[in-house]
Amino acid sequence: MKKNPRTRKTDNNWIGARLSRKEDLRLITGSGAYLSDISIRGMLHATFVLSEYAHATIKSINTTEASKMPGVIEIYTGENIKEKIKPMPQPVVVPNLPAEYPTFWPLAVDKVKYHGEPVALVIARDKYVAEDATELIEIEYEELPPILNPENALENESPLVHEESRSNQIFGMTFTGGLTEEEQDANAKKVETLFSEADVVLKERFTVHRTGLTPMEPRGALCDWSESDGLTAYITTQRPHIDRLALIDILDIPGEKVRVIAPRDQGGGFGIKAPFYRENILIAYAAKELKRPVRWVESREQSLMSVGQERDQINDLEIAATKDGKLLAMRNRCIADNGTGQSGVYWGFVMPFLGNIEMPNAYTWENGHLTLQSVSTNKACLTPSRAFGHFPTRFAIERGIDMVANKLGVEPSDLRRQNLIPNLPYTSITNEYYDSGDFLKVWDNLLSRVDLAQFRTEQEEKRKSGVYLGIGFACGVELSGVASELLVPMENQPGYGAATVRLDPRGKVRVFGGDAPGGQGHETTTAQVVAAAFGISPNDVVVSTGDTGITPFGAGSIGGRAGSYFASAVSKACVELKSKITKIYAHDIEVDAPPEAFEFKDGQITYLPDPEKNDSFEKIVERIIMFPINLPDKEVGGLESTAFFEAEKPMICFNADCCKVEVDIETGDFKILEWITSEDVGTVINPLIVDGQMQGAVIQGISNAVLEQFVYDENGLQMSTNFENYKLATAADVPNVEITYATTPCPHTPLGTRGVGEGRPSSVPGALTNAVCDALQPFQVQITSLPLRPELIWRSLQQAQTDSSD
Amino acid sequence: MKKISLTVNGEQYEEYVSNRLLLVDFLRDQLGLTGTHIGCTHEGVCGACTIQLDGEAVKSCLMLAVQADGHSLTTIEGLGQDKLTPLQESFSEEHGLQCGFCTPGILMNISEFLEKCPEPSETEIRNALIGNLCRCTGYVHIVKAIQRAAEIRRQQRENIE
Repeated sequence: MKKNPRTRKTDNNWIGARLSRKEDLRLITGSGAYLSDISIRGMLHATFVLSEYAHATIKSINTTEASKMPGVIEIYTGENIKEKIKPMPQPVVVPNLPAEYPTFWPLAVDKVKYHGEPVALVIARDKYVAEDATELIEIEYEELPPILNPENALENESPLVHEESRSNQIFGMTFTGGLTEEEQDANAKKVETLFSEADVVLKERFTVHRTGLTPMEPRGALCDWSESDGLTAYITTQRPHIDRLALIDILDIPGEKVRVIAPRDQGGGFGIKAPFYRENILIAYAAKELKRPVRWVESREQSLMSVGQERDQINDLEIAATKDGKLLAMRNRCIADNGTGQSGVYWGFVMPFLGNIEMPNAYTWENGHLTLQSVSTNKACLTPSRAFGHFPTRFAIERGIDMVANKLGVEPSDLRRQNLIPNLPYTSITNEYYDSGDFLKVWDNLLSRVDLAQFRTEQEEKRKSGVYLGIGFACGVELSGVASELLVPMENQPGYGAATVRLDPRGKVRVFGGDAPGGQGHETTTAQVVAAAFGISPNDVVVSTGDTGITPFGAGSIGGRAGSYFASAVSKACVELKSKITKIYAHDIEVDAPPEAFEFKDGQITYLPDPEKNDSFEKIVERIIMFPINLPDKEVGGLESTAFFEAEKPMICFNADCCKVEVDIETGDFKILEWITSEDVGTVINPLIVDGQMQGAVIQGISNAVLEQFVYDENGLQMSTNFENYKLATAADVPNVEITYATTPCPHTPLGTRGVGEGRPSSVPGALTNAVCDALQPFQVQITSLPLRPELIWRSLQQAQTDSSD
Repeated sequence: MKKISLTVNGEQYEEYVSNRLLLVDFLRDQLGLTGTHIGCTHEGVCGACTIQLDGEAVKSCLMLAVQADGHSLTTIEGLGQDKLTPLQESFSEEHGLQCGFCTPGILMNISEFLEKCPEPSETEIRNALIGNLCRCTGYVHIVKAIQRAAEIRRQQRENIE
C-alpha cells in the first residue's frame, strides 16, 4: 500500500508546520482528475472554428459539407444561436462601474473583432472528426481595417471596434481628488502647484508589452443535461459560484437546475480561469439542446489566441521630489490596450482599474493625479493575470523611483526607505486602505541580507576590467484577499470567505469551500487550520472545493483569498463548533465552564482546571452526533457549522525584491546572479507552501518581463500562437531565488494570516530593470519599456553613446 | 484501423487503433491512463505528455499509437506501482509541484535522466528540465526535489554495496 509521504508525526501545533501536501499523492501518481480526465458515457466533443482575421465582416458561413461528415452531430454559428441565447452583458458579470460594455454572443455575429474569435462550433462523436469538420467549413470574410493602436483609437476620427459604442474608450476614470469633476480639477491644480515648486521633476513614458499568465492546463468545459436535474457543468474555473449564476441568467434555466463544478484538480489558474467566458455558455447550451454530454477541451493554440493576455499599458508618469529626497507628488496618465472587452466580470478594464489604484505603492506621496483610459482594440480581450493590472503601473513607479534617485545622486534603496510609509494603517492617495504591517521592517530585513557598500566597491572594481554588475530594488503592497468594500464596486461580487466544517461520528472532518483552487495547496493549509483548532491530525481532515451543489457561496479563488478570507472562515466555523462541543461536554462532566477552560490536544479534550476530566475528541463528537440525549437545555445534537468571514478592514501584504545582474555591454545580454526577497505574509500556516507561492511568482515575473510576449502583426494577426513563439521560462532560463521573511501578524484575521502570492510578481520587472540600468550607470542608460531583452539593452547602449557624443 | 501489440506498465495489450491516432490520445482515451497530460498543441514543447518507451523518455504527443507496436511503455501510472519512488517522494517533500499538471511528464523524464546521470550538478538538472514547462513552481523546488532524490538513490546504492 502506498503511503502518503506526508504522514509523519510532528507536534500538535499545526499552524506553521512545514508539511508536504495532502494533494501530492494523487498528483505524483497520475491519479489527479483534471477537466479533460473527466468523461461521461456518450460524451460528444466540441471544437471551435476561430476567426482568421482581426477585423472583418462575415459575409457567409457554409457548413453544408462539414455537416455531411459521418459523426458530426451539430454545427453552431453566430447566426443560428443569436436568437436562442441572450447576449452579454448580463448584470451578474458586470461591475458597478460605468463603461461602454460591448454586446456579444458566444460566437461572432456579423463581424469578427479579433484574430481567434470563435466563429463556429462543431460538435461530433469523435474529436478527430470534429477537427476534420472545422476544415470543411467555408467562411467568406470582408476584411476591415483593424484598430490596433490604442492611442490612435482614441482619436475622434478613428473607426470603432464596437459600432454601438460612442468611442473606443471602454472605460475611463480619474482616481484622485474626489468623485466630481470639479473636485478632481481642484486636486489636479494642487498637484500642479506641487510640481511647479518641486526641485526635481521626472517625466517619462513607461510601456509594458502584452503578456500574462498561461496555466499549463488550458480551459475546458464538460456539460451534461438531464430533464430532472438540469445542467451539470464541469468548468475549469476559479469562481464556480459566479459561473453558475451567470449561466442561470443567460440561458434562462431555473437556479435549482444548474450545478457548476470546478474539478478538484485544476492545472493552474493565475486569474486566467476567473472570468465568465463565452465558450462555456455555448457548451452548456449545446448539452441542453442536444440532451447529450458535450466536452470542450481548449487547444493551446486557442488558449494563446484568446486568454492570458494582460499587462499592455502605456504609463506617462511624472514624479515631483525635493532635493532632499522627499517624494511630493505623482501624476500619471495610463492608457491600457483593452482588446475587445468581450469577457464577463472583467471586460478587460477591471485590471488596469485596480492597477491604477495600486500604483502609488508603499510611499508617502503628498498628493497625486491619476487617470486611466482603457481602449478597445481588435485584439483578444485582456484577461486577469496574477499581479492583476499592476504589473505595468508598478514597473513604471519602481523604475521612476530609481530614475529620481539617479537625478538626485542618491542610492535608490535609500530614497525608497526614506519615503516608505512608516506607520500603518494608511490610506493611499488613490484611497486604498493599507491595514497593517511594517514596511520598514521588511525593507531593513532585505537590506540586512545585501551588503550594499561592499557591492558598490566590487562593482567599481569589476568595471575596471569591463565587467558590469548592477543591483536593483523594488517593493510592492499587495491585496490580501479582496474585501466586499472593494469587490462589490469592482466586480459586483461579495468578498467574504465562507466555509462549512462538518464533523463525523468517527472524529473526522470534512470542510467545504466554494472557491476553486488550482494548485495553491488549499487542502493542506485548510487541514492544518482545522487540525490546530481541534487538536487532531491534518490526516483526519478532508477538503472539498468548487462544487456549487455542496459548498457555500464563495466569490472564487482570486486575490489571495485563501490565507485571508477562506482560512478565517474555516477558523471561525471551528470556533463555533468548539463552543458547542465544550458546552455539551461541560454539561456531561457537570461543570459550568466557558470554552477556554477546555484544551483540544492530541485527540483529547481536557477540562484544564481538573485534567482528570478528559475524554477522546472522537468519543465526545460521536456522543453529540449519535446520542443526542441528556443535553443541556435547548441544545440539539449534530456538529456542522457554516461560517462567513468579512474582515473589519481591507487587508494587505507587503514584499520587497533585490537582484544582482551582470550585463555584457558588447551584446546586451545579462545574467541574474542573485535574487533575494523579503516578505510580510503575516502568520504562516505552511512555510513550504508560502515559499512555493513566492518562488513561482518571482519566476513568473521574470518570465513575463524578459521572455514572454504576445505579438500581433500590422494586420492584427497573432504571431504567438504556440509555445515555440510564446516563450515561457524553462528551468535553464531562470535563477535560484532566496525567499526571506519579516512578518507581522495581521490583526484583522483570527489567526493573523494574510492572503499572499497573487500580486507578488508585480515588483519583479522594476527590480530587474533597475539592476540592469544600475549596471549601465556609466553609460547613463535608462530603460523604460519591457520586454527587457538583450536587443533592447544593446540598442539603449548604442543610443546612450550616440547621445553622449552629440 | 491497425492492430497493435504492446506492453503498458507491465500489462500486455492487443488493440485496434486508427492510423492517425496519437499515442497520447491512445493512452488517455483508449486505455484510460489519464495521468499523461496534454499542455501544448502536440508540438512537443511542454513535456506534460512524456512517457517512457523501452526505458527512453519520449513525448507521446509526437508519436502515433501505431509506432508503439511491439514496444514496452511506462506511463506515470506505472511509476512506483508498489511503492513510491524516491523521486516521487522527493517531489512531495520539497514541494516540487503545485497544480501538478506538468508533474507526470517531469517525473517520467527525470526518472530516466537519473538512471543516465545519477549524480547530476544543478546545471545538469536544469538543462535536463528544458523539455518540461512548469508554470507554477519557478523550478527551484523541482531542482531541490531532484537533488534530494539523487541523494537518496546514492545512499541506497551505498547500502547495497
